[in-house]
Amino acid sequence: MDTKISEIFNAIVDGDASAAKQTVQSALEAGIDAEIILNEGLVASMKEVGRLFEEGEYFVPEMLISARAMQAGMNILRPVLIEQDIKPSGKVVIGTVRGDLHDIGKNLVSMMLEGAGFQIVDLGTDVAPEKFLEAVTEHKPDILGMSALLTTTMSNIKATIQYFEEKGVRKDVKIIIGGAPITQSYADEIGADGFAPDASQAAALAKRLMGKA
Amino acid sequence: MRTSFGNFILNSTNPVPMPIGIYAGLEITGASVRQSVTDAHAQSEAILALHERFNTPVMLTAMDLSVEAEEFGCEIRMTEDEIPSVIGRKVTDLSEIDRLPVPMIGSGRTAVSLQTAQKLLSIDKGIPVLGGVIGPFSLAGRIFGVSESLEISLTEPDTLKKLLEKVTEYLISYLTAFREAGVQGVIMAEPTAGLLSPRGLSQFSSAYVKQIIESTVTPDFTVVLHNCGAKLVHLPKVLEAGAEILHFGAPMDIGQALTQVGEDIILSGNLDPTGVFHNGNPQEVTARTRELLQATAGHRNFIPSSGCDIPPHSPLDNLAAFFDTIRG
Repeated sequence: MDTKISEIFNAIVDGDASAAKQTVQSALEAGIDAEIILNEGLVASMKEVGRLFEEGEYFVPEMLISARAMQAGMNILRPVLIEQDIKPSGKVVIGTVRGDLHDIGKNLVSMMLEGAGFQIVDLGTDVAPEKFLEAVTEHKPDILGMSALLTTTMSNIKATIQYFEEKGVRKDVKIIIGGAPITQSYADEIGADGFAPDASQAAALAKRLMGKA
Repeated sequence: MRTSFGNFILNSTNPVPMPIGIYAGLEITGASVRQSVTDAHAQSEAILALHERFNTPVMLTAMDLSVEAEEFGCEIRMTEDEIPSVIGRKVTDLSEIDRLPVPMIGSGRTAVSLQTAQKLLSIDKGIPVLGGVIGPFSLAGRIFGVSESLEISLTEPDTLKKLLEKVTEYLISYLTAFREAGVQGVIMAEPTAGLLSPRGLSQFSSAYVKQIIESTVTPDFTVVLHNCGAKLVHLPKVLEAGAEILHFGAPMDIGQALTQVGEDIILSGNLDPTGVFHNGNPQEVTARTRELLQATAGHRNFIPSSGCDIPPHSPLDNLAAFFDTIRG
């Protein structure tokens, strides 16, 4: 791995946002291709963070600060990617469903997806089915992600899927779901396209659904 | 220190079933969740209804982790049917933490919790009563923001410690009020600490829980430390808090944990409250409870329980299956 790329990789894995920003800038100034910085620096480092989390070496705080570092680097890189018309791995609209204000799981999934090269449209929390539909119509994502922490709100995932069916747009987007009370069998029962038990696995699931795993 | 509640558990001939969750009692009384968390009468009625129906050997007040944060001035979202949630962040930096006043116990809904405990004690059935309180790191997270408090545990640990000092002072007062009310102890819920690394949990949770325990526990007052996110890797650091009884969630390998802690520490848990009690059926509850009893067989220092708070609208038949299976 190129020294400048490995500096980006290490800055993100270490959760050092300031270093991530500087090393991405430095790599761009050295003429390294933006797509190489993205894939071998940012995406590879977040994949490593996901691996460290799955192996129990990293916990949620470590993931969060690595994701912040990745976002700091991405803020420098994004204008160059846009200028060079480099496409993301896919586009994801994501939100916590109506009635539910919990966002830590949804935020972690957003960050891991962004770290896997996806473009994210985050609708926040307490998102009504109509809002999800509006965002899907506007942004035309490949994937819609919905989260619920509460047993009292998980039924709103099902309600949103039903709303999409009623409006005839269900087949336009892959739907992935997650949250503490959600299981694979619930995802199957309500007709979601995928379920992931944690943020790291959500990124892998999204790639699989895009045929890129 | 061995307390009277600890002795009650260890001296029981059979396992003492102690599911966490008063909200199932609302299925019997017909009150709403909002009523139960704002009115001591509604809350105590739900707890007593569960006691009458299932002969519960311990009575627990509600696990409502917004009570203390609201008293600190956090905005709360409360609906009829949902356990209240904290909205937004009360403080965002060190200067705001410095200016944050430590509230008086009883100035908000801690009064409801304390009055509920007093009502249960006044019935004088001789049944142990435990109060429900939040743990220090989880309370700090609700005041500063959960994601943000997790992040500053690595980036600004001293800022987080300032907030933890304030919430610890407050929680010592709250536990003291429960003790003075006459309850046998409290269940202190510290779920957010389960998201930390073992080292982080030691620094930002156990160190402060330990201060609270050392300031409040007496031979007649225990602290049951609940952490529904902890895994086996966290166990040695959770033990540092010095609690007599540890209550864990579904991620904990209870059989292994019992082997590691020895006979002096009492463990409790850990059936999935949502997957088993809320979404399951009586047959599934029976099967999972049997598995739990098998995994913990021969350990008198184990209390069968849910791994966390049982959600509202969980079927009463599932609770019945849990009690019936334990009582054989």
